[in-house]
Amino acid sequence: MHRFWGWTFGSVLLGIFLLSAVSPWMNWWLPKGTSSYSPEIDKLFYLILAVVTFFYVLTEVLLVVNICRSGAPGRKAQFTHGSQKLELLWSVIPGVILVTLAVVQIQVWANIKYPSHMLQSFEKGEQYLQMGVEARQWEYRMRYPSPARVAEWESAAKAKEDFVRRLPERFDDVHVVNDVHVWKDQKVLIHLKTRDVGHSLFFPNLRLKQDALPGRTIPVWFEAKEANTQFNPASKTWTDGWRQEGSQWVSDPHNVFDLVCTQYCGTRHSLMRGKLYVHPTKEDFLAWLKQAQELNNDKKGTPTAVAANP
Amino acid sequence: MSATHTHEQSFVGKYIFSRDHKIIGIQFLFTSIIFLFLGGLLALGVRTQLGWPNAEIPIIGKWLFPGSAGGKMSPDFYNMLFTMHATVMIFFVIIPWLTGAFGNFTIPLMIGAPDMAFPTLNMLSYWFMWPAFIIMLMSFVVFGGAASSGWTSYPTIASLMMPEGTTSPASMGSGLGQILWLTSLTFVGVSSMMGSVNYITTIINMRAPGMTLFRMPMTVWAMFITAILQAMALPVLTVALIFQLLDKTIGTTFFLPPAGATIGNWTTGPGGGQPILWQHLFWFYSHPAVYIMILPAMGMVSDVIVTFSRKPLFGYKPMVLAVAGIAGLGFIVWGHHMFQSGMDPRLGTGFMLATILIALPSAVKVFNWLGTTWNANLHLTTPMLNALAFVALFVIGGLSGIFMAATPVDMYFHNTYFIVAHIHYVLFMSSIFGLFAGVYYWYPKMFGRLMNEFWGKVHFFLTFVSANCAFYPMHIVGIGGQPRRYAIPVDADYMAHLQGLNTWISIWAIVMGFSQFIFLANFIVSLFTGPKASRNPWKAATLEWGTPSPPGHGNFEKEPLVIRGPYEYSGPECAPGEDYAVQAPNLVVPEGIPTPVKR
Repeated sequence: MHRFWGWTFGSVLLGIFLLSAVSPWMNWWLPKGTSSYSPEIDKLFYLILAVVTFFYVLTEVLLVVNICRSGAPGRKAQFTHGSQKLELLWSVIPGVILVTLAVVQIQVWANIKYPSHMLQSFEKGEQYLQMGVEARQWEYRMRYPSPARVAEWESAAKAKEDFVRRLPERFDDVHVVNDVHVWKDQKVLIHLKTRDVGHSLFFPNLRLKQDALPGRTIPVWFEAKEANTQFNPASKTWTDGWRQEGSQWVSDPHNVFDLVCTQYCGTRHSLMRGKLYVHPTKEDFLAWLKQAQELNNDKKGTPTAVAANP
Repeated sequence: MSATHTHEQSFVGKYIFSRDHKIIGIQFLFTSIIFLFLGGLLALGVRTQLGWPNAEIPIIGKWLFPGSAGGKMSPDFYNMLFTMHATVMIFFVIIPWLTGAFGNFTIPLMIGAPDMAFPTLNMLSYWFMWPAFIIMLMSFVVFGGAASSGWTSYPTIASLMMPEGTTSPASMGSGLGQILWLTSLTFVGVSSMMGSVNYITTIINMRAPGMTLFRMPMTVWAMFITAILQAMALPVLTVALIFQLLDKTIGTTFFLPPAGATIGNWTTGPGGGQPILWQHLFWFYSHPAVYIMILPAMGMVSDVIVTFSRKPLFGYKPMVLAVAGIAGLGFIVWGHHMFQSGMDPRLGTGFMLATILIALPSAVKVFNWLGTTWNANLHLTTPMLNALAFVALFVIGGLSGIFMAATPVDMYFHNTYFIVAHIHYVLFMSSIFGLFAGVYYWYPKMFGRLMNEFWGKVHFFLTFVSANCAFYPMHIVGIGGQPRRYAIPVDADYMAHLQGLNTWISIWAIVMGFSQFIFLANFIVSLFTGPKASRNPWKAATLEWGTPSPPGHGNFEKEPLVIRGPYEYSGPECAPGEDYAVQAPNLVVPEGIPTPVKR
């Protein structure tokens, strides 16, 4: 019976290993990473995966071997209470690995999330497209600066002031729902708010997630490294799902960059969604922004800025 | 210390409001198993929607969802299902089963005490669960339905005071259902706190002569440290629950930000609190809670593995230190549930360091279990198979935790199915397999009969295979980025291709659910027709096996005199022809009934 159970444990545990191994080929894997920090995050993921795989194989093989080996009748068990040497070995080695894992990731996290790092960045004069996102049940409301303010970069001092004051509302802001438009290789800083319950901003392709808290405005930054949006002259709109190959655009369904809500927020939590449109150039983005501004001004009843949470 | 003492007890005093720890333990056991099936049913509801989104549910669909065309599940109902599944499983199944049932049953027996230090308090700790049960069950039928904001009940979706009546504009279940949820859990907390005080006192004060702390079995160590966790963490949860209850009923604003909140067209009044305060208070309890939900199982698994390896536990003192280490570190890692929450990310770094370190004592335990089963004489009985499954699958659950401990990687995985996979590997695949091991192992001591080995193995095989087929792919869909708590699972473009995996998971979840009826049938039928158990059917060394099966009131016929540790198997102290040496030889009586167990 021992072999039967050895086989049972062994085949299930092996099946788990094999499923994980084939998943990338079956396209059941991480979506394409397209931000400036997604390579670092993915590297960390793969490093942990390697460590975890090693220990998985080691421990499960030992377990299955133990199950199979114990089948001989009349077998006598070894009388031992343990081994101090082994205890040291299997405490120190995992300990060193864990501490290493801990240390190598601190900078990655700090660079992405620490507001102090963002502030330092502003003080160094780096330029960000600053925009506001206010989440609510069950949509995202984006607030862009007007095309005039984007075309010419503001002074470093003014940009820093906008950052510190969480991008105050302006009369000429452009309001769009659910669509985040940026352009390639440009740092973007979102001031994230929510007017009702907790929500979250999750861009799987950017590997970026930030939960929104009622009562706070939280700064979130990213830089998209791949364009996916081009102007469609027939419909006079910008569409995504495009990949640039040299100077040509190729249709690619993987180049649809979704935005989903990952903080439970009620009935339509699973339908609260947006898109990330990455324009190839600043000019293309500005053309879109101008069109959005015109739509804002033309339409009656466009959602205007609601300063519920100053 | 007197041993058995007889006095006349009414039926009610003996079986209903019993103050005997064994009966109380069995009471906890019975209600936990009942709620296991309720929690499982709720999970099958969740999996039905995820496997076949927006399908017309056959037979009961039209009755359950009269408003929808054809009987389709509404998102609000789905949100209630996952909320109540988690709530029931955590508070009415795993914690009462591990600490209430097994803590109660095993502690006095394994330390050589006639009962707990405070028998009346013990009885109260069980009966305080009943208001909790009734209130929680009532919440299913009030207007708005049961709570639906996740078992985590974050403000502001869960916590707003209703503008009128008992319905919340934020969410259906955040009305009266949420108020009842909060009240019910307050009773659960009080019950657990009563129990924990009892266990700590009993273990410190009532050990038999010779039972030093380092001669206690791992089960008792685990229950002891878990009780300390409960005693220190629960008050914080209780406070949080009361704060939210006050916010919802009399308009306090512990969790409402200064500018209030605007739900649709309705704005609350001004606040003055912080939604994130709830998260800190809640997780300060709920992280230790997850260790409350695993440490007792780890202790029981150690005892089962040793008994069926016929070998001492490898590294007894390191194992005790590891349990203490996990518990101690468990108090300073709660922020890892809040890495992406808007909490200061510098705190995140601190919590990350402590969280990564917790993998170390867990790893030490796994290696020691492997050391115990190395060069052993393994008897693959049903309890042993369940215990070995615990070890095999806890490895997976623990290793997946390392991804989430790494804050940049957690940015991707937080609130995805990767978390759900991790949770279920450590809770279902670890705690529940540990619980099954404990039931099959101590059943003869509890009821005087053995469960059926064959059907036990069938149950194990089906559960082991189907659970892994159901839960492992959750890691994969999580890597694909599928969020959790989604009524419509994979609608967005980037994850639409993951529907097939979701359906696969649901099918195996159904198989797994139905397999548990085999356990239930075995449990019930064996109560009446199982082979009668001897005092020590497993030939184990710990003290409980020196009593009749089941033990009488007062447990021991004479006071145990402990002369050795709990794990002296296959060593020089064993009697000739035997491979175990009992802790208290003065308890041994000649066996009258042959051991019918096939090894």
